Amino acid sequence: MTPASRAIPVSTAGARSARNGASSELRITQQQNGIYAATFFAMASPCEILIETRDAKLARRAAQAAADEAWRIERKYSRYREDSVLSGLNRSNGASVVVDDETAALLDFAECCFVVSDGLFDVTSGILRRVWTFDGSDRVPAPADVDACRAFVGFQRLLWKRPLLNVPAGMELDFGGICKEYAVDRALAAITARFSGAVLVNFGGDLCASGAPAAGPWSVGVERPDSDREARLLLDLTQGALATSGDTHRFLMRDGVRYGHILDPRTGWPVKDAPRSVTVAAGGCTQAGMLSSLAMLRGSEAERFLTEEGVKFWCLR
Amino acid sequence: MMRRVAALAALLCAVAATSGCSTIGVKPWQRDLLAKPEMQLDADPLDAAIDEHVYFSKEASSGGRGFGGGGCGCN
Amino acid sequence: MQLKKPGSVPTALMAASCALLGASTAKADDSYESDDWQVDSALLYYKEDQQRVQAIEPVVSLKRDFGDDRSLGVKLTYDSLSGGSPNGALPSHSPQTFATPSGASLQAPSGEPQTYTTSSGRVVALLEKVTLYTTEPGQLPLDPNFHDQRVAFSTSWQQRLGEQMRLSVGGDLSHEQDFMSAGLNAALARDFNNKNTTLSFGTNLEADAIRPIGGAPVGGTDYTQLQKGGNESKTVGGVLFGVTQVLSRRWLAQLNYSYDASHGYQTDPYKLLSVIDAGGNAVGYRFENRPDNRTRQSVFLENKLALGRDVLDLSLRHMKDNWGIKSQTADLRYRLELGNAMYIEPHARYYKQNAASFYNLYLNAADPAPDVMSADPRLGAFDAMTYGLKLGMTLADKSEVSIRLEQYRQNARDVPAAFGQLQGLDLNPGLKSFIFQVGWRFSF
Repeated sequence: MTPASRAIPVSTAGARSARNGASSELRITQQQNGIYAATFFAMASPCEILIETRDAKLARRAAQAAADEAWRIERKYSRYREDSVLSGLNRSNGASVVVDDETAALLDFAECCFVVSDGLFDVTSGILRRVWTFDGSDRVPAPADVDACRAFVGFQRLLWKRPLLNVPAGMELDFGGICKEYAVDRALAAITARFSGAVLVNFGGDLCASGAPAAGPWSVGVERPDSDREARLLLDLTQGALATSGDTHRFLMRDGVRYGHILDPRTGWPVKDAPRSVTVAAGGCTQAGMLSSLAMLRGSEAERFLTEEGVKFWCLR
Repeated sequence: MMRRVAALAALLCAVAATSGCSTIGVKPWQRDLLAKPEMQLDADPLDAAIDEHVYFSKEASSGGRGFGGGGCGCN
Repeated sequence: MQLKKPGSVPTALMAASCALLGASTAKADDSYESDDWQVDSALLYYKEDQQRVQAIEPVVSLKRDFGDDRSLGVKLTYDSLSGGSPNGALPSHSPQTFATPSGASLQAPSGEPQTYTTSSGRVVALLEKVTLYTTEPGQLPLDPNFHDQRVAFSTSWQQRLGEQMRLSVGGDLSHEQDFMSAGLNAALARDFNNKNTTLSFGTNLEADAIRPIGGAPVGGTDYTQLQKGGNESKTVGGVLFGVTQVLSRRWLAQLNYSYDASHGYQTDPYKLLSVIDAGGNAVGYRFENRPDNRTRQSVFLENKLALGRDVLDLSLRHMKDNWGIKSQTADLRYRLELGNAMYIEPHARYYKQNAASFYNLYLNAADPAPDVMSADPRLGAFDAMTYGLKLGMTLADKSEVSIRLEQYRQNARDVPAAFGQLQGLDLNPGLKSFIFQVGWRFSF
């Protein structure tokens, strides 16, 4: 591991910041060593593009392409927007809908993850937030309420035969667990289609790099969940992605039992003993994000799962 | 020869078109390798067209893959 | 689905995320000059040995993607041929003189009658502007004035018809000094089984106008009479049925059956047959004459296999027509990836055909002239092998350059023994040629 004292621009990974209103402004500054840093806000996260080039115009065009792609995906799949394609699907009330190619591809991916995780990862589980509010209080829902809600959870209840999707009345789709990492990969692809130099795309801690700067690998700092801990986990990244899932900030506490916000869709209750944070390295961000999510969902078995599958990871409890 | 071929093709079509054919083929998320440009049947169309033109002028057979465009005066 | 193999989850996710990111998705806003045009260009240099045919052919193909599976393609080809092409006569131990086809008039020019004397001593009236060429003893007679320029243009449009069906339509035009062609084609493809199976049906129609230099000779007649007619034509129509099937994550196969029929002038107006007597002497020549109709059927199977990062392509074809020709083709390519931006692709092709029913290496002076006959080596029995190597490289600007070299060898089969005056001559030397091609592919 290279020392942090090397004069390489540092990109900050880790904790997601709270949603505080989208801003569509793109700011570009030039850091040391000629690396351009572009920042903007998307998907409830501070986003950053680092690109090594001498051409300021190219840096701006590349960053704009990445930001446009992130905002496009947000507009299309945000459940907070009434005009999004996702909200449209959730309002279909049991009618069959023909979905476009991109949505179909996301549904196929979601189906694969559902199957591969034996039902642990489920894009229909978002509806459980109606009974669970993770505000640090002790208001744990009644088992009867959870069971009632669970009747509307389950990917197997959807009728998905490309290109027709049928979401039964009362059920909801939520791509929140896939979208950000997908957007990272898409934004990176938008840049690398025309630019073959070093670039790092970081959307609130989920990041992917293509090529390292001439001076050395990207130095990425992963924040520790406990904010009073000084030392950060520093990683060198040349190529590939890092994604982090965390369970620190949202929870309920009752009778000394901590209820983390990662819910098991099969039971409707929080996963037991989920790690505080899991950071996974993989070839692409979608893949890394899914692996870290799957690990979190396994609770106490997170490290064992990742080790057995031969995945590179850093786990904090 | 042609009757055997027709029977084989008809069998393939019948097997393929029935929904009970879930064993042959891949799930949509398993199409990563098949999506690569070099795995497409028309991966190098110019090479194929040039070869087709050369062999059409020097041999008695042509085509098979699909339709070439434009005849030429040779053969 | 229970996956018990360690490492199977990341593998499945990797494949799935590749499929997700590779899927056709909404086009991003045009804030970043999007690559709508794809250009594929190549320059071919083809050369046969023994001063035979030589060709230089640049080709440019443009394709524009309009999204939603709609695309337009345009291709322009220019072909410059030179060198000599065998005229169908046998070699001889004595020099042979032939007249190249030219001039359109049957009248001898006014003024002094010009004549030429055939090898058998007959004196024939010369046509205006006819050029003579003489073949040296022992050489295969080649018409040395085989030069021509051809320009061809083709276009195609593809789009979707509903979610599971695709349509493509196209047209093409070709023009050279003595041959013009215009064609239309259309095809429909329908997907089944989650796009694992595709059935396709295509049809094409082509009309050719043949304007041989000097007029089309009356088929089968004595060459020395130089009896000429006018222009000719032919039409070709064909259908194709195909099944494409995904057999596994790594294996794709396509099986096609095609049928085509050609009606009209199929003869090569510049080719002859030698008339040989019992002693092996050439006593005359006749123009060739082919049947008016040709119907052909072929079955074609192609397999593409992804082996690691490499790709294996194996195809087989069997063809049969009503001229009595049957052929088999086997073509094998292996694309070997070297590093991230380079590949090498060795190629081998085997081809075998038997002779057309009316193919004759020469005619017997003792026999009456048949109705249909041809000594064109392309209709004879032969085996052919091609060996080739292609090297491709992706450059920093994401364009791809390639270079390809192939060697082609044709060996005649069932060649009758040389007898009498023909002894010591190679009656059908086959063909040796090479293909050299450079290519450049880029988008803008």
